[in-house]
Amino acid sequence: MTEPAPDATGVDATLRALLADVLGLGEARAAALTDDSGLFGELPEFDSMAVATVLTEMEDRLGIVIDDDEVDGEIFETYGNLLAFSWRKVNG
Amino acid sequence: MIEHLLRIDPVGAPRATVLIVPPLFEEANRTRRTLVLAMSALAAHGFAAVLPDLPGQNESLVPLVEADLTRWQDALAEVAAAIDGPVIAASVRGGALIDHRAGVAAWWRLAPVGGASLLRTLMRARIAADREAGLNSSLESLQAAAETAPLLVAGNALSPAMVAQLGAAEAQSVEPLRSIALGADGIAGTPLWLRAEPGEDAAMAAALAADIAAWSTSCGIS
Repeated sequence: MTEPAPDATGVDATLRALLADVLGLGEARAAALTDDSGLFGELPEFDSMAVATVLTEMEDRLGIVIDDDEVDGEIFETYGNLLAFSWRKVNG
Repeated sequence: MIEHLLRIDPVGAPRATVLIVPPLFEEANRTRRTLVLAMSALAAHGFAAVLPDLPGQNESLVPLVEADLTRWQDALAEVAAAIDGPVIAASVRGGALIDHRAGVAAWWRLAPVGGASLLRTLMRARIAADREAGLNSSLESLQAAAETAPLLVAGNALSPAMVAQLGAAEAQSVEPLRSIALGADGIAGTPLWLRAEPGEDAAMAAALAADIAAWSTSCGIS
């Protein structure tokens, strides 16, 4: 990736847009996600294929590489967890 | 063997034929409806539009495990050769990995993607499913297993040749080519190929058809 690493607002916006694209949430539902919003197991659209798509899109859009050893169920429990994980990865 | 294909004709003689090269695997299902809408819009622009089944995909009787990218490239070349008059290949996502050997007058690619990225997503879906079943797999272990035996990823049985070719596949340079992405500088629309549930985007279909028609004109095809 040649784009500069996004800042905190950028990571949040990128992640919301990505979830909207993969889960078909629509802008309003994506914007309404809070740190406590449940993802995997809560949103019916969030199946294992969606998890896989989200991971690959996170790599492409945030310019990060995700080692699958780092991925556990907790990351996808809530939006806050996913955002915190993304932010850690972006900051290397 | 030529597979089943969907063909939509314009009223009267076509200006040219647009050969739609669909995305690969699950992405093909997610985009099919919108691509068919785009084909109808192309017919309104005076083009014939053809959407072939790749061997092992959609309604093909070939088991997917017998397919690989080379076979898909051959199949597309065969479909293109059987079409009368000028042909424009319009490839979406992974379709761009298999369109370069088709003898066409021009190429148009929407959001082309590398094979490694597609393969990684498929393998990750397998890893996630394995995890739910209490099994431990990794990209490395799946990659190693795929060297000698077919790999089942997200419902797709991929041969060792398919996995190896996909892992290394990049869209090849072709001429003349228009490559376009979604977004402010490209086509307005949604990346339906990522969508967990199938959707459709009629406005995007119309935009795709208009863009392909304009590209055909600027290539001097018609």
